[in-house]
Amino acid sequence: MTRRGDPFPYLLLVPAAALTLAIVAWPLIETFRLSFTNASLRPNASYVGTDNYEKIFRGDFWEVMRRTFLWMFLGVTLKIVMGTIGAVLLNAAVPGRAWFRVLVMPPWVVPIAIGVFMWSWLYNGQFGMISGLAQQIGMIDGPFEFLAYPNAAFIATIVTDVWVGTPLVALYLLAAMQSIPKELYEAAWTDGASRVYRFRRITLPLIAPSIFTMALLSAIWTFNSFDIIWILTEGGPRGATTTMIIDTYKTAISRFRFGEGAARAVMILVCLTAFAGTYLALMTRLQRGASR
Amino acid sequence: MTIRTLLASSVACAALAGAAAAQDTISIINCGDGGGGEAALQQVHIDEWLAENPGYEVAIEYVGWGQCQEKSITLAASGNPPAIAYMGSRVLKQLADAQMIRPFDMSEDALASYEPSVLGTVQFDGQVWGLPRAFSTKALFYNKTLFEQAGVDLPDGPQTWDDVMMAARAVTENTDAAGIGFPAASFDNTMHGFLNWMYSNGGEVITEDGEAVFDSPEVIETLQFYADMVPYMQDGPLAYDRAELEPLFTESRIAMYVNGGWGRATVGDVDFGLVPIPAGPSGAQSTLLITDSLVVFEGSGVEEAAADLVTYLTATDRQADFDEAGGWTPIRQTAKSDELVAADPTWAVFIDIIGAGGPEPSVIDYVAMQDAINEAIQGVILGEATPEEAAANAQRTIAELADE
Repeated sequence: MTRRGDPFPYLLLVPAAALTLAIVAWPLIETFRLSFTNASLRPNASYVGTDNYEKIFRGDFWEVMRRTFLWMFLGVTLKIVMGTIGAVLLNAAVPGRAWFRVLVMPPWVVPIAIGVFMWSWLYNGQFGMISGLAQQIGMIDGPFEFLAYPNAAFIATIVTDVWVGTPLVALYLLAAMQSIPKELYEAAWTDGASRVYRFRRITLPLIAPSIFTMALLSAIWTFNSFDIIWILTEGGPRGATTTMIIDTYKTAISRFRFGEGAARAVMILVCLTAFAGTYLALMTRLQRGASR
Repeated sequence: MTIRTLLASSVACAALAGAAAAQDTISIINCGDGGGGEAALQQVHIDEWLAENPGYEVAIEYVGWGQCQEKSITLAASGNPPAIAYMGSRVLKQLADAQMIRPFDMSEDALASYEPSVLGTVQFDGQVWGLPRAFSTKALFYNKTLFEQAGVDLPDGPQTWDDVMMAARAVTENTDAAGIGFPAASFDNTMHGFLNWMYSNGGEVITEDGEAVFDSPEVIETLQFYADMVPYMQDGPLAYDRAELEPLFTESRIAMYVNGGWGRATVGDVDFGLVPIPAGPSGAQSTLLITDSLVVFEGSGVEEAAADLVTYLTATDRQADFDEAGGWTPIRQTAKSDELVAADPTWAVFIDIIGAGGPEPSVIDYVAMQDAINEAIQGVILGEATPEEAAANAQRTIAELADE
C-alpha cells in the first residue's frame, strides 16, 4: 500500500515515459516541425510556413488519398472475409487439422520480400504461371502482363497483400473462436440448430469484437503497407498503385525533399487518426446497439 | 613488476595505439558485390597508391547496386560521409548543390583526355564534380534469324526509324515473336531507353542554357514513334525494365531491343546483329552516354588524399585496364580501345558513337524529372495521352525543375 503523494510510483514510470518520449513523441514532433521547412540535402533549411501543405493540396493529393483508402478498404475486407472463412475451416473437427494450421502460416512467415518476388514472377506474362494457365484453359489468347496495366496492377497488389495478411487474421480469429464455450454449441445443437444458424447466432456475435479489433489493426497496417507495392510496381504504372506511403517515400527518400516528405507523413497521421477515431466511434455505437 | 613498470608499459601501449590511430582512413563505398575482375584490379591499384602514401589506410565497402547511392548520401546527410563513393553521375548536380561533394582540380591536359561528351556527364557550372569510373553507350540488337523468317531484307540492319518500323511490323505479322522490346516500367532505364531514341532524332530535354525543351517537335516525334510502335512491342511493356528484356531476346520472343555492350554476353544462341540506335526523321544516329563516377565527399577529414586516390585510380592507363576488366565501354580513346575493336569488332558500334552521344539531363531533382518523363512515355504507350499532351505535361514539371 502506498501513501497518497508518495513520488516513488511515479519515479518507476520515468524510464517508460522517457522511452516513449524518445521513440514516439520526439520523432513525431520533429516530423511536424520539419513539415514547415524546406529541408533537403542542402545544408541549411528555413521555415516556409504552410508551403509544403499547399503544394500537397495543389497536386494530386486527393486522388492519392482516394486510391489509398480504396486499396485499404478492398485489402482489409478481403483479408477479414477470407480470414474468417479460414478460421472456421481450421476450427472444424477434421483429421489432421493441426497440419492445416501449420500449412496456412507460410505467407505470413516467409519474409515479405521473398513472397512478393515470387508473386512478381507469377504475374509475369511471358514466363509466369497465372498467364500460362489462363492461356492453357483458353481464358486469354496470349501473354498478359498483370503489372503493366493500371487496373490490373492495382488488383494484383491487393491480391498479394491479401495473401500476405490473411494468415494472421485467420489465426487471430481462430483463437477467438476457440475461446467460445462449447456448451453454447451443444445447447444449440440439442435444439436442432443448423451449422449456418450456429455460426450466425453464436460464432459471429462472439467473435465480432475480435473482428472489429483485427479490422482496425489490419486497416492501419494495410494503409502503411510499403514493401508489397514497392517491390511489385514502385507505385506504377502511371501512379496507379501510388498510395500515400509510397508517395511519401518517393518525396522524402528518393527525392530527398525531407520537408515536403514530412508534410506528407503528417497527412498520413491525420488521415489514420481520423479513420481510426471514426471507426472506433462507429463500432462502439454498433456494439451498444447490439447489447441492448 | 613494480607499479612504475606497469605505468611505463601502459604509456608505451597507449603511444603505440595512438600511432596506429594516427594513420588516416579513407573510406570508400563502392557499388556491387566486389566479386568481379575489376574489383580485384581496383584493389591492386589501391595497394599501389598506399605504397606511395604510407600514412593512410583504405577501407572499402561494397554495397548492392540498389542501395549503394542511398547509403552514401544518407551517411553524408547525417554528417558521417564516406571519403569516396561510387555514384551515378546523374546525382552529382544534387550533391554539388547540397555542398556535399567537392570538385576536382584538373589540368587542361587531364580535361582533354576525356571526350567532351563524356566529360559533359560530370561537368557543370565550370567544375568537374566526379571522375568517370564506368561508362556505357547503347546499340540496337536484332535477331537475324527472325528477320529472315519475317522476310526482312536489311543486310546492314535497321538504320532509320522507318527500317525499325518496317522490320517490327514484318516480324510481328509473320512470326510468333514481337517486333521489338521496349522498357516502360516505372524505372530509370525506361527514361534512358527513351533518351537513346530522342537523341537519335535530334531532341533534347534541357538545352545547354538550362531551358527545358521537352515539348519540342523532335521530342513529340519520338513520343509518336513510341505510340506507333505499340502494336509491335512485347505485351505489356509497362511491366518491363531493360534487364527483363534480355531473356525475351535470348528466347527469340522479341526481334529487336536496345542494350549496352554487356548484352552481347546474354544473347545465348541467338544469331544477332548490332547497329547504332537508328536515326529518326529529324536527327542522326546517336546514343545516351551514361557514366558512373567516383566522388569525394566533404567532411571526411581526408578530402585531399581522397581526391588524390580517385585521380590515381582513374588515370588513363589504370582506368583503361579497369574498363577492360569490367567489360565497360572505354571511357577514353586509347590504344587499348583500338585493340578492343581489333579483337572484337562489335565494340566499334559502342565506341564509334561516343562523340555523337548526349548525356543524361542534369537537374537537381533528378528523380522527379525521371518520373515526369516516364509518365509521358507510359501515357503514350497506354493511349491515355497523345504525344503532344504527354510532352506538355512533362515539360511543365521539367521546366520547374530546370529553374531550381
